[in-house]
Amino acid sequence: MINKINLLKKTFVFTTSISFILVLLTFNTFADSIDNQVREISYLLMCPVCQGQTVAESNSELATQMRAIIKQKLEEGESKKEIIAYFVNRYGETILGAPPPKGANWLIWVLPALALLFGGAGIAIFLHKSKSEKGKEKTKEISNEQPIQAESKYLEKLDEELKEFES
Amino acid sequence: MKILNTITKLAVLLAILLLLGLLGYAVFGNRVFIKSSPIVGQQASDFTLELFNGEKIKLSDIKGKAVLLNFWASWCIPCKDEAPALEASWKKYKDKQVVFIGVNVWDDKDSALLYLKEFGGEYENGMDPKGEIAVGYGVGGVPETLFIDTSGKIVDKYIGPLTEVIIDYFLGKALSQDHGITKGVN
Repeated sequence: MINKINLLKKTFVFTTSISFILVLLTFNTFADSIDNQVREISYLLMCPVCQGQTVAESNSELATQMRAIIKQKLEEGESKKEIIAYFVNRYGETILGAPPPKGANWLIWVLPALALLFGGAGIAIFLHKSKSEKGKEKTKEISNEQPIQAESKYLEKLDEELKEFES
Repeated sequence: MKILNTITKLAVLLAILLLLGLLGYAVFGNRVFIKSSPIVGQQASDFTLELFNGEKIKLSDIKGKAVLLNFWASWCIPCKDEAPALEASWKKYKDKQVVFIGVNVWDDKDSALLYLKEFGGEYENGMDPKGEIAVGYGVGGVPETLFIDTSGKIVDKYIGPLTEVIIDYFLGKALSQDHGITKGVN
C-alpha cells in the first residue's frame, strides 16, 4: 500500500514537472514569436520623426511607442496586414519602408529588372561582337604570316644556291 | 551583326524615351504635391485622456461639440509660440460648443506642469504617456492640431504653430455643416 502511494506521489510530481516545463516552453516560444513579429513589422515601417530609419532601428520615443503598440496589437490577435494598415491609415503610405507595387510605383519594382535585362543583353552583345572581331583578326594574321614563311623558304634556298654558285 | 546593332540602338532609344517619360510625369504629371494627411475625413477614434487635474475626458462623451485637439510638449519652442493664441481662442470659443483638448506627448509630467503654469492652458490638458492617442491620430511631431466637427469627423489637421486667425478659420469650418477638406494645410 505504501509503495503504491509512493508510486502515485512520484507519478504526480513527474507529471506536474513535465507540464510546468511544457507550459514554460510554450510561453517562451509564444513570447519569442511575438517579439520576432514585432521586429519584422517594425522593419517594414519608417519612423515618422527620423531620417531614413525604420521603427525597428530608431531609438526615438515615438518609434519605441510604435513598437509597443505593434506588440499590443499582436497580443490582441491582429494580423501583420491589419497592423500595417492601421499605421498607413494614420500616417499615409510614406510610412512604408518600400512603396506598394501599384500605380506608378510599379516602375520602381520593374525598372531594376529591366535595367538588368537590357544591361545584360548589352554586355552580351558587346562581348559577342569583340570575340568575333578578334577571331577575324587572328585569321587575318595567320593568312598574312603564311606567304612570309613560304617566301623565306625560297629566299633561303636562293641564298644556298648563290653560295654554291660563288664557290 | 546588323540586326544586333539595330536591336542595341532600339534598346537605347527605348531607355531614353522611358527616362524622358518619367521626367515628364514628374514635372507635368497630375500629382498632388501638397501632402494630405490620410486621417482627414475619417471618423475620430475614441480615446480617454487622463487630465493633469486627475479627471478623465472621453472623446465620445463630448459628441455634438467641435473639438480642437492640440498635441504639444514642454520642450517644443513652436508650442510656446502658439500657446497665447490657444489660450485667447479658448476664452473666445468655450461657450460656443467647442472643446479644446491639449495632449502632452514625449514629455515628463513636472516639465509639462511647469509649462502650463507659465504659458496658460486653462482648458482640458493631459498626458499621453504611451503615445496611443498621438499614434492613433497620426501625429509625427509637435505642435500638431486636429479639428473635429460636431459629428465626430476629423475635418483638418494643422502642422505647426497656430495663430488666432488660423484657429478661427478651422473652427469655423468644423462648426459649419458644409465644410470641405482643405488640402495644403494638412
